Amino acid sequence: MANDELIRDFFQKMKAEDQRIPIPEFPEVKAGGFNWWIPMGIAATLLLGGFFLIKQEPVAEPPADLIIISLQENENQEQQLIIEEKAYLDTWESTTSSLLTDF
Amino acid sequence: MNMQHSKLENLLKSHHRDAFLWARQCCRFEDELAKDVLQQSYLKILEGKAKLQHPEKIKSWLFSIIRFTAIDELRKLGKTESLEENYDPIIPEEELEERSYEGIIQLLPLRQREVILAVFYHNLTIEEAAETLQITLGTARTHYDRGKKKLKELILKTETLKQHG
Repeated sequence: MANDELIRDFFQKMKAEDQRIPIPEFPEVKAGGFNWWIPMGIAATLLLGGFFLIKQEPVAEPPADLIIISLQENENQEQQLIIEEKAYLDTWESTTSSLLTDF
Repeated sequence: MNMQHSKLENLLKSHHRDAFLWARQCCRFEDELAKDVLQQSYLKILEGKAKLQHPEKIKSWLFSIIRFTAIDELRKLGKTESLEENYDPIIPEEELEERSYEGIIQLLPLRQREVILAVFYHNLTIEEAAETLQITLGTARTHYDRGKKKLKELILKTETLKQHG
């Protein structure tokens, strides 16, 4: 290693000279932290999209009451108007009910 | 292994002086360029683009990042350097006499200069220098031996010129 003395001495002097070099302050490095605005934006978009997409179709509600006006013959063979007020469900008739009666 | 941000920052601060001097040496002793390179290197590290796997090897890891960042910056500026091992510019004697330490070091071929600076200036082992330069240990040893021989010649030549000047 005595062989390296010349080089070691050279670098020792170089280092001593480098002591004069001004070392810059450790820079304020702002590492890119997690940006919470991105997931918040995505969540808001999904919420809005969901609100419009999942918006339910309005269900047609049956009328509460039904007025049935029919023209019938009475026992005197006279035509007369009969006005009945019924609940919607009372008037519902199965579309296949004829099958039960006709056959 | 993910190191805590503040712990990593403290480690970097503890090596800041050495890191700046190494950056300067990788940037042909240009102070302003070295500052930029160092800032960029710290950013790469603190943003997680470069990850420290072995905390005990922080110095060679940090030096490696700085070196590659410096190479990129020098390339952008069109300041590439010959990697030719036998690159041996002829320096007039009067110019050699006036050369500073930095000036003499710069006369070494690039790889030899890097290994010699890493080992003799920054006290890295040849193995650590090889890791820093991303070369094999055998290649690092070759650059080390040739660099030492060449530097000795230059030192002796400069000293002789100064004595007889």
